[in-house]
Amino acid sequence: MKRNGIVFVILCFAILAMVASGKYLNRTRQHGASSTLVGDVRGRTAPEFELASLDGKRVKLSDFRGKAVLLNFWATWCSPCKVEMPWFVDLQKKYGNDGLVVLGVAMDDTETSKIAEFASEMGVNYPVLLGTDKIAEDYGNVEFLPTSFYIDREGKIVGKGTGLLGREDIEQNVQRALASRAVGMNQASRATAPDVAKQQPRAQ
Amino acid sequence: MKRAVCLAILVWVSVAGLAGQEPGTKVPSVTFAPVGKVQVKPGGSATVQLDFRVGSEFHINSNQPKSELLIPTVLKLSSSGPVNVASLKYPAGQDVSFPFAPGEKLSVYSGDFTVTAVVKASAKATSGEYPFNGELRFQACDRSACYPPRAIPVKFEVSVVGR
Repeated sequence: MKRNGIVFVILCFAILAMVASGKYLNRTRQHGASSTLVGDVRGRTAPEFELASLDGKRVKLSDFRGKAVLLNFWATWCSPCKVEMPWFVDLQKKYGNDGLVVLGVAMDDTETSKIAEFASEMGVNYPVLLGTDKIAEDYGNVEFLPTSFYIDREGKIVGKGTGLLGREDIEQNVQRALASRAVGMNQASRATAPDVAKQQPRAQ
Repeated sequence: MKRAVCLAILVWVSVAGLAGQEPGTKVPSVTFAPVGKVQVKPGGSATVQLDFRVGSEFHINSNQPKSELLIPTVLKLSSSGPVNVASLKYPAGQDVSFPFAPGEKLSVYSGDFTVTAVVKASAKATSGEYPFNGELRFQACDRSACYPPRAIPVKFEVSVVGR
């Protein structure tokens, strides 16, 4: 009887270990070992990038220092991404004067003209940049779309959202990114970290 | 008592494991089932059922998605010497609405689906095994996120008999 109990406990621990290792492998598959942004990205400096925009200009993240940036990875073939885009348009209008810059990063492997046509049809009022493997890797091997990073005025990441979130969640993250100037980044991070975790069940 | 505690732990582990499988956090899987023996006579043809399974919680676009922006599921197969793929027939997609676009129906495959290939041997084909290699290209989503297009290998062999 006692022996059976021990065997049962060992079995339970074995299952627990399998679940834990499965989750670890899953995370490794998602983010890759070489990625720079893995784990909890809040408070980390957003990796610098330089990408071409739809109109052929070179755009760097550092061009927007002093502004809050919503960096949204999307693609024309991503239906959930389409749901968010009108929200981003509204948020750009609502918070643009407060210093919000929405940047769309199109991860399509298609002609620029098709991306531009799609963005135009969606009424996009913010810059759309052409994504590269490098930016995807630098931002933690962005694989599933949509994925958004919320970057404060000092270039620190204050939130990340993966998959389609609710508009309210997105707006709260935007407000958090915008708030950084008023309270200072460190205070903002400490004050809002639990909220960020609550708002983003899949935040890393 | 001990057994009850262990049972509780087991249930907790199972529930915790399932809770961790949030959308957008798993890699989508599409698998190809091995094909049984396919035989064809010189000058004849044979039907090959190619069975695929889309992992639970995921869907992929059908071969005829409702928007040109969506990436269709496509099977590409090369010829194998004197045996060629004469035709491919894709199943119709299921028209499904998803939480991310409740007003829109997408044509998708989920669960199991079968692509039917007809292979034809030339009249001069000699007896032997003729391997077919190809790939199924697809683009998967779950209920809140989409994944880049991927491809899985598709392999089967056709035996030419009777010469």
